[in-house]
Amino acid sequence: MASVRSSQQPGARPSAAGDPGARRPAAAVRAGAAGRGRSGRRASGGLALFIVAGVLISAVFVVPLLWETFRSFQPESTVTNPPSAASFSHLTFANYTKLLSGQDDIIRNVMNSLIVAVLTAALTAIVSTMAGYGFGLFRFRGAGLVFGLVLLAFMIPFQAVLTPLFLELHFLHLLNSLIGLALFYTTFNLPVGVYVMRNSFLQVPREIVDAARVDGASVTKTLLSVLRPLVLPGIATSALYAFLFSWTEFLGALSFMTNDSLFTLPVALSNVETGTYGAINYGLLLAGAVIAMVPCIVVYVALQRYYVRGLVSGALKG
Amino acid sequence: LAATEAPGAPAAARRRLLPQRRSAADRRNARVGLAFTSPALLLVGAFALFPLGFGVYISLTNWPLVGPYHFIGLSNYTSLIHDSVFLQSILFTLKYTAIVTIPIFLVGYALAVFVRSNRRGTTVFRTLIFLPYIVGLVAESYMAVVELQPSSGTANFVLSKLGIVSNTTAWTVHTGLATTAICILVIWFASGLTMMLLMAGMQSIPTDLYESARVDGASWWSAERRITVPLLRRSIALSLIISVVGSFLAFNQFFIITDGGPGTSTVPVVMSIFQTAFADTDVGLASAMSVVLIIVVGLITFVQFHYLQGDGD
Repeated sequence: MASVRSSQQPGARPSAAGDPGARRPAAAVRAGAAGRGRSGRRASGGLALFIVAGVLISAVFVVPLLWETFRSFQPESTVTNPPSAASFSHLTFANYTKLLSGQDDIIRNVMNSLIVAVLTAALTAIVSTMAGYGFGLFRFRGAGLVFGLVLLAFMIPFQAVLTPLFLELHFLHLLNSLIGLALFYTTFNLPVGVYVMRNSFLQVPREIVDAARVDGASVTKTLLSVLRPLVLPGIATSALYAFLFSWTEFLGALSFMTNDSLFTLPVALSNVETGTYGAINYGLLLAGAVIAMVPCIVVYVALQRYYVRGLVSGALKG
Repeated sequence: LAATEAPGAPAAARRRLLPQRRSAADRRNARVGLAFTSPALLLVGAFALFPLGFGVYISLTNWPLVGPYHFIGLSNYTSLIHDSVFLQSILFTLKYTAIVTIPIFLVGYALAVFVRSNRRGTTVFRTLIFLPYIVGLVAESYMAVVELQPSSGTANFVLSKLGIVSNTTAWTVHTGLATTAICILVIWFASGLTMMLLMAGMQSIPTDLYESARVDGASWWSAERRITVPLLRRSIALSLIISVVGSFLAFNQFFIITDGGPGTSTVPVVMSIFQTAFADTDVGLASAMSVVLIIVVGLITFVQFHYLQGDGD
């Protein structure tokens, strides 16, 4: 609306005003045109102000992340010395090459993180889809109770069951196990996943389900071939939440992994921070933090409409 | 939060899959429904509900990390009352929560007002403002460790140029400074989430309400106060609960930036539990602390939910 108004030809005004044959009284046209001009200027001025304000506000949130990324390319000696003009000229990949090779072997921790995050995302997507299908399209006694129990996990902070969980995982031989960690992460992502998937299945038109059944498709085949494409956005939402949760989780991995070679990246970085691998090296720490950050940003920016979809359904229906 | 609209409600819309062959189909549906939902139930049962009950059980014992144990009744709970480190950690966590909650909400609300329109650029601004939340507090805490160093960190460099602090300020070894730095970091990190939650709620308010308010001559502020806030109560409740519970369960930023120090002055509750369980290997006592934590978090959630959306709906 604003852009349409402001793009009107200002030259149209005198001719319209000066034409005695105009249908509307000239004064009204003049007033209207003047009004348009004024609001057009206000709108475009407002938009420019809005953009400037938006850039400034966004900068508060993004510049620190960009600055740390820049700093991670500074040599260690620059990171740990007072900033100077040289800080901006001398850039190097040294932190990254040191981090990803040699005795620190962070690349193994990155792989651990990746394995756990992908496993968690896949398990969450599969288990949530199955449960959403069951809750959404089948009536059964106790469904309300089972659904309530699954959502109850949403009320249980995992931080508060950490010690019993540690003992339980120990008994199940799932301590120091990437699979054990993924099962733990999956569990605490299920409330969101199941909730999103149940809503996805409830939104599928009933005729489609009935038609598939009439055509003789089995329950599983209906899910895999008929309904899957319809609930794919929901699957993406639950997998995305699970991936980001798993990739950034710290406390559980710190508690359930005691073997250095099985640490996920966030936990391994605490060794870099405290200098377990020798002298404390803040250049390495920054490079590691950037490696931890980049996948989140890439995955989020690529799939953000699925993320926002989950937030919105939670915010409006929660 | 959503248990009120759980399935099993007697809605006609729920009748699925060949309703004409009632009994056989119903039995079959029940079997299939249970089969498909059982993996989720199994996982939640095994790794959330069981540990919860197991934790209560352990809290009544003197369970060490390894070795035999026996029941000691409520001794762990009574000794918590005299556990100065635990009590201090609760007080510190309450103080921390009290400090960050209002700024996160106000900044988040202001940001939501800013990005709620569909003007050009808003989508990009939303994404950028939300990035710190997506990246996660762990990576950002490591960055903060580097930048809070005296003499070399960016924080001191900028703040000393502005004349606010000296360039040699050691942020992480001073309780007040460390808490201040962590609070600023967390407000920066978390207000994007509040923004997204409130924005989603704001966008669901019909725009004609604002138009009629404008026709009636209401100012922007009174429209905000009389239309937005009341209709946004659900979203406000949700964002406050997420923010308060999140603050109460804080661990990562303190573990990474201060490790609870100096002394035990910045130990939050979860770190206190973590240390009791894994450093002191007193699993029984740690579990009693966990039970207290669950009750407190449950109470906070209940009170906020009740207070903010209980009446009037």
